[in-house]
Amino acid sequence: MKHHRSAGGREHPDDAPMIRVLHSADWQIGRLYGSFDPDDAVPLAEARFAAVERLAALAVSEKVDAVLVAGDVFDAQTVSARTIRRLFNALAGYAGPWIMIPGNHDAALAESVWSHAARLEALPANLHLVLEPRVVEFPQQGLALLCAPLTQRHTFGDLTEWFDACETPAGWYRIGMAHGAVQGVLAEDIDSANPIARDRARRAKLDYLALGDWHGTKCIDERTWYSGTPEPDRFKANDSGQALLVEIDQPGALPRVTPIPVGQYRWGQVARRLDIASDLDEVIDTLGKVEAKDVLELTVAGQVDLDGYRRLLAAQGIAHARARSLRVDLSDLRFTPTAEDIASLHADGYLGEVIAELRDTVGDDARRAQDALTILTGLLSERNARGVTP
Amino acid sequence: MKLSRLRVAELRQFREPFELANILPGLNIFTGANEAGKSTLVRAIRAAYFERHRSTSVDDLRPYGDSAATPLIELDFEIDGTPYRLTKSFLQKKRCELTVGTRRLEGVEAEDFMAERLGFQFALKGASREEHWGIPGLLWIEQGSAQVVRDAVVNASDHLRKALDESLGEVAASGGDDVVAQVRKLREELLTGTGKPKANYQKALDDASNLAEQVAALESAVANYRDQVDQLRRLRDAHETDTREQPWASLRAQQANAQEALRAVEELTGQLDRERETLRQVSGLRDLLLQRLASAELQKQNLASREATLISVTDQYELAAELERQCLLAETSSTGRLAHARTALLLARQEANRVALRRQLSDAQMRAADLRSLLERASAEHERAALLKREAALLRIEPHDLTTLKAQQARLTELQIRQTAVATRLRFELDAGAVIELAGETVAGNDERLLIAPSTLSIAGVGLVHIAPGGSDLTELAQEQRALLDEHHALLQRLGLASTAEAEAREQSHAQRLADAAAAEKARKLLAPKGLDALRGDLDAADARRSEAAAALEQLPEPREDVVLPLDAAERDHDGCREAAEAAGQSLQAARHALATVTSQRDSARQERDALKAAEADPALQAELATKRAELLEAGVKELALRADIKGIEARIAASRPDILRQDVDRLRRSAEESERQHQARDRQIVQIKAALDAVGAQGLEEDLAKRQSERTLAVRRADELRRRADALDHLLGRLELRRQALTRRLQAPLQKHLDRYLQLLFPSGRLEVDEQLVPGALTRPGPRGAEAGSFETLSYGAREQMGVISRLAYADLLQEAGRPTLIILDDALVHSDAQRLAQMKRVLFDAAQRHQVLLFTCHAANWRDMGVPLRALDEARNAIAAT
Repeated sequence: MKHHRSAGGREHPDDAPMIRVLHSADWQIGRLYGSFDPDDAVPLAEARFAAVERLAALAVSEKVDAVLVAGDVFDAQTVSARTIRRLFNALAGYAGPWIMIPGNHDAALAESVWSHAARLEALPANLHLVLEPRVVEFPQQGLALLCAPLTQRHTFGDLTEWFDACETPAGWYRIGMAHGAVQGVLAEDIDSANPIARDRARRAKLDYLALGDWHGTKCIDERTWYSGTPEPDRFKANDSGQALLVEIDQPGALPRVTPIPVGQYRWGQVARRLDIASDLDEVIDTLGKVEAKDVLELTVAGQVDLDGYRRLLAAQGIAHARARSLRVDLSDLRFTPTAEDIASLHADGYLGEVIAELRDTVGDDARRAQDALTILTGLLSERNARGVTP
Repeated sequence: MKLSRLRVAELRQFREPFELANILPGLNIFTGANEAGKSTLVRAIRAAYFERHRSTSVDDLRPYGDSAATPLIELDFEIDGTPYRLTKSFLQKKRCELTVGTRRLEGVEAEDFMAERLGFQFALKGASREEHWGIPGLLWIEQGSAQVVRDAVVNASDHLRKALDESLGEVAASGGDDVVAQVRKLREELLTGTGKPKANYQKALDDASNLAEQVAALESAVANYRDQVDQLRRLRDAHETDTREQPWASLRAQQANAQEALRAVEELTGQLDRERETLRQVSGLRDLLLQRLASAELQKQNLASREATLISVTDQYELAAELERQCLLAETSSTGRLAHARTALLLARQEANRVALRRQLSDAQMRAADLRSLLERASAEHERAALLKREAALLRIEPHDLTTLKAQQARLTELQIRQTAVATRLRFELDAGAVIELAGETVAGNDERLLIAPSTLSIAGVGLVHIAPGGSDLTELAQEQRALLDEHHALLQRLGLASTAEAEAREQSHAQRLADAAAAEKARKLLAPKGLDALRGDLDAADARRSEAAAALEQLPEPREDVVLPLDAAERDHDGCREAAEAAGQSLQAARHALATVTSQRDSARQERDALKAAEADPALQAELATKRAELLEAGVKELALRADIKGIEARIAASRPDILRQDVDRLRRSAEESERQHQARDRQIVQIKAALDAVGAQGLEEDLAKRQSERTLAVRRADELRRRADALDHLLGRLELRRQALTRRLQAPLQKHLDRYLQLLFPSGRLEVDEQLVPGALTRPGPRGAEAGSFETLSYGAREQMGVISRLAYADLLQEAGRPTLIILDDALVHSDAQRLAQMKRVLFDAAQRHQVLLFTCHAANWRDMGVPLRALDEARNAIAAT
């Protein structure tokens, strides 16, 4: 293993000047949000294109030398031609070099979204698409990009291994690009295929290793980062919706990495249990704070009386209209009308008995009884509102 | 509830104000002809309570043609001791006012208060209809609807339950039936009666399942696409490797090597074939020599065997010849004995013959003598018979002639007698010698004559005396006598007879002759039953036999003097000798045949032996055999050498395995071809898969799949939601109905009690069932054949009406017990009841009126005079008011 230079400071007067690159990954273009209502799913999918457009704008405003996209540009191999064209159109804002490697979702297979894009002649001239392991050189910036694209969906060998032995011109920046799981860092439920050695940047004497696959921004070490996806796409709380501005003063210097928010929507998951009256207030408060950028999933358990239930539904209605997407799961919330509730519903006689029976049902039938109770109280409320009661 | 005063104005025919005051707390009977306004008053009471004063659907209250009218109704009544006054006006001036004790209510509030108090509800829109009437709808019986109980009860059921539950200390559900109906309707939007999904729910399920299918299809398409992509990669890798390494070239080189090796082996094989041919020839020659020598040896052995055979056959020949000689001797001797026995037999037979002939001859002689004597006697008899017959033939008189003769004779005698009787007796007593002649006849002496004819008596001397007998008869008799005599004489003459007596004598003689002839003939028959000729034949035969026997005897040789054997002994001796001779002959025959066979065998054995002997002795043969033996040795040596050679070559060939070599050549050639073919095929396949993937990739398969998956998720969620809703509704409906039914059942018993009270008046020991909806059901009552049961609907109209009234009264009792206001209105009810039933119903009504206020409107005043209350005629009341 022989290198042109040590990892120390500027040794040669012809060392490359300071470099600024934008690091992004996991655009997952073509992703649909199946579990959302169509009204919500379409804007969420659209937001992914918008994020790319904002990245382009950011690249322009930050005057970066290149934009590195570390895999999973597309969510699937077979996306429609329109989706492909739209993605590349979204790049138009930034005329500088875009360097992309395929990830596991868009691996450079024998036939892939990339070969489709090539056939469509949709690839712009300033796009450097790296479909096999190689070094891409930018002599002007003195930048050598060591690219480890995925050419299979899953590999079990470290595709960045060859970085260690790869020689690049002396005095140039050595920046690696890869897509996969850094060994021993990420939680087990992340795909453990496509492994990447934790100390790859050090071993390969890289100035910076731009990684993709992890949807939240994550720093592995000072030279190794996951940028995360620019637009959040899941509830699992992580630090997503950002791009990384990477600045290196000279080859070998430690990079300055600045996360910049580019995401449009804020995804959140809230679970609350109603046991005492103030619990409900808290939930209603949460709903009251919902904004247009929120994609919120609220799970409410515990129990609630008629008044509380009405308040909850009212708050939910208001928040639903305000949020990008609001999903409220009340399946574990027991509706327990009080005696006063029953009286206020004018549910006397056997109607009252049935309400009490449904309210007090436990076990396997509890859920059905709850549903029935909700329907019945709904009907009675409507009746009262109409003033039908004799 | 007690209504005390009713006032109406500008209402239908009551254009002027009309008031019914002093309404009694119990039974009130209002009579009036048709159109008198009974129904209008009932309608007024209903309108006062049921119709919203603001209603625009009460035009029927308006007097005909009066568009400016303000129909007004004022009611004074009392509930639980509290006085009420309800004043309501419609249309032109819409007002409602209610005073309850000192409290005053107006408008809707007043209306709702009454609705709550009496147990009914208002129509949300339009005129009040039956379903809104609640309890009053049940107790206020409209004209002609007393029998329609079910609908009324159902409409009132919620109010009933609520009202009655209070009496049970429980609370019924307000509007429960409405809620149940709503729940049922909601459930029916999703589920069929049997709980199967329908409409939107079914569609959601279908959508989910359709989308699941589509997703599955797309997933499989995506998987297929991925497989093809992987395959393309593998094919490309393989193709590149092959293009680079050209595996078929090395295969071709290996093939050439194998082919060279094969050619060398094939040369060796040619050599082997040639050597093998030579060996085959040498072996063949050696075999021939061996054969030749073997045959010479065989010939020698043959000669010895033939000699032995000859000796053995010769021995056999000699034995056979000896046997033949002995047989010949035996045969000759037995033949001699047979000839002697035959001679003795002939002699014995001759003597036996002679004895027999002699006996025959004597027999024949005796027989001939007998026959001859017999023939003589028979012939004599025969001749005598013939003679007698001939004599008889001469004596024969024809029987009728004889008869005629006898008849004539008898007539003549008769005539004689008659003549004598009438004849003139002439008696002569003549002197001796005097003669006289009478009729030519001389008469002398004393005589007498009967004169039958005139006769002349010539007396010699005297002259003639003519005597003529007296009477004519005598003459006739005489004439007949003469005629008959003539005939008689003529016949006798023809027969050659003198008299009749002779004829009889001759006849007798004739018969005698015939009898004798018959006797003679009989004697002949005894002697010769078959006739004379047969007898004569027998005699001739007997003579002939005799002659034959005599002749045969003549011819026999003279008897021999020596002893002659008896015939049977001679025959036995002869038979024995003949059998022995035959046996001896057969033995001889067999011996001769055996001898001939053995002779021929011996001869041929000798010939064969001689021939072989001659051949064996030929010197040329001995020389040839010596040569052959030498040649055989030489061939053996050569063969051994060849075999060694061949073995060597074979080993070399086997070591190089030409079959495997040939397979190698073939295999390598095919492998090379296959390798190239595969290379080309892969190339084509790459193009094909590429094209297919291009096409599929362009469709955005996974995007499509993701879309479908989204849709499916939503559809499944929707189906789940609907399922949950359907389950919940189903459950809810079940619980509600269960509770409601339980409630209803608790009300049955008290209602039943009240029903029974009234029913006993109508049908003692009858029973009217109440179903779960509190509606009267089956009526059971005693009939002529035990209890009869029939559902309410099957009762007659009149009975249904009666049951309807009774039911309503029972409800009223029930309500009253529950502390609810009751007012019973009957508008022309019970008009279909017969007199007897009506009488009972009156008792029922009277009984009810003890507890409830009853307003009864009728146009049949006469029917209700026995109710103990005054009948109030509406017409009169109107007139009275008009008068004031």
